[in-house]
Amino acid sequence: MTAMSEHQHHSAPPGDRAAWAKTAILLGMGLYFGWLIISGNLNYYINQRFAWLVIVGTVIFVLLALVNLYSSLRRADDCQHQHFDIGWDILFIVAFPLLLALIVPSRSLGIEAINGGISLNPVGIASQASFQRSPLDRNILDWLREFERASAPAVFNGTAADVIGFVYREPTFAEDSFMLSRFTMSCCVADAFPIGMPVSAPGSADYMAGAWLRVRGELAAADFAGDYLPVLFADSLEPIAEPQQPYLYP
Amino acid sequence: MQIDTVPSARPNVFKPLLLAMLLVFFVGATGYQAISSGIDYTLVIGVFATRFLGIFVEAAPFLLLGSITAGLIEAFVKADDIWRLAPRNRLAATIMGAFLGLAFPVCECGVVPVTRRLFNKGLPVSVGVAFLLGAPFMNPIVFASTYIAFGFGPVFIGRIVITILVAVTVGLVIGTFARPKAVLKPLAQQQEHAHDHPAPARARDKLLQALQIAADEFFEMGRFLILGSALAALMQTLVPQESLLALGTGSVLSVLFMQVLAYILSVCSTVDSFLALAFVNTFTTGAIVSFLSFGPMVDIKSTLMFSGVFRKRIVLYLILLPFMLNLLAGVLLNLALGY
Repeated sequence: MTAMSEHQHHSAPPGDRAAWAKTAILLGMGLYFGWLIISGNLNYYINQRFAWLVIVGTVIFVLLALVNLYSSLRRADDCQHQHFDIGWDILFIVAFPLLLALIVPSRSLGIEAINGGISLNPVGIASQASFQRSPLDRNILDWLREFERASAPAVFNGTAADVIGFVYREPTFAEDSFMLSRFTMSCCVADAFPIGMPVSAPGSADYMAGAWLRVRGELAAADFAGDYLPVLFADSLEPIAEPQQPYLYP
Repeated sequence: MQIDTVPSARPNVFKPLLLAMLLVFFVGATGYQAISSGIDYTLVIGVFATRFLGIFVEAAPFLLLGSITAGLIEAFVKADDIWRLAPRNRLAATIMGAFLGLAFPVCECGVVPVTRRLFNKGLPVSVGVAFLLGAPFMNPIVFASTYIAFGFGPVFIGRIVITILVAVTVGLVIGTFARPKAVLKPLAQQQEHAHDHPAPARARDKLLQALQIAADEFFEMGRFLILGSALAALMQTLVPQESLLALGTGSVLSVLFMQVLAYILSVCSTVDSFLALAFVNTFTTGAIVSFLSFGPMVDIKSTLMFSGVFRKRIVLYLILLPFMLNLLAGVLLNLALGY
């Protein structure tokens, strides 16, 4: 049998144990995917629009685990169909995501994930709906889109805004100012991108970088770290918990 | 089929030693990042875990669908049914070869054994090569994942156009200038794919066999996905955006870099779109498209599989021709888009 001889070239674990390990990994993956959906932690990883994909994944993982289990049990009277070709190294690599998910607590991308600056430019193509929101309903991404298509920073002077995000600072910022930031995510965290709008708030230096805040105030064009921009002058800062959906979907 | 003397087509790079080295590199690199940025080590690992699991969770369902398709083809489809319809004209036949993936939805991992089987039935070299290079992208599952990642835009269209052009061109070049005997290894030396069982007769057994093959496929191909995602996530976590931008904005350099990356990462075509997303904010569109069109044609794992079917010189051509053509197409696309 060609298939059998080829398999003996590398250190494969005994067929039985490898088969059980395979079943365990497939089942573990299915449980992990299912848990992501039920716990809502899926929001940390992929855009909600694609949650159905993870449901499909869960079903297939469990199905394959059951098929594997069935053939492991049936194997006793049918030695011809064994698949010896999966070594411990492969099993370890495929189990790696599960190990990581077990060891590292799941969390969203936050301030530590910003690796070299934050963008003042909106991401993605704006839908018409995002321009029709009333000023108080706009999120950071909506605001950046408004800023981008405005003729001058001063056109927003006196407009009230009410936004949430986390605090981000750079050494060049004035003491009372920070950027209120969010990550945008189109598909999954691979394309997550930090954006932020400038905020000026006396006494804000007390809030740690990365802290989630609700900021209410009025916009006015001003100098911010050397640029003339619409800046949100805060009337109130309110510490909040990280929202259920930490990312903005462009 | 006594081929015991032929070395295994399986890449032997996944030995425990190498795995340990990768782990050491991983711990060292993340540790260095933690020290140099002053961020707590657990937070660095947390960022890596989130990025890595994000890519994996989004990609795994597609890999599963691809694996199940491979299993179903293996269990239910007879290779010679398909190409009997091939046109006589070489150009037309080669173009059909590039589209054959629509009937045979296999990723680059499944395409080599299928191509070999088709060659054995007398399929013309040019058609086989066009199929080999085109099929990993030209299939409904990959269309879906590319669409989900990028929508209907320059990346999606560019990927289709460039894949077809390159696959047909390379197919014609190799088919025209080389005689079949100079292209293919003698039959006796070719390696049988590992899943070569006596076909069960009953439909229920066939289905069971298909699902078992699918599970094996998931492990075989999943490791490339997992290593590739880990590398991409690690890069995003460690390399500052400005450095990536410096590499990613050159209209030629960015394409070159992404193609080399595609070759090394060896990620399955069903899921490479999600990896490419990691570079969307920093790299030129031409580079993204070239990554997506070149990656499925040739990479580390398919090179290893090619060498089981083709002669050495042809394997070299099968790497270099697509590389040059994709590079050209990517750079032209960048120039057209004004990078």
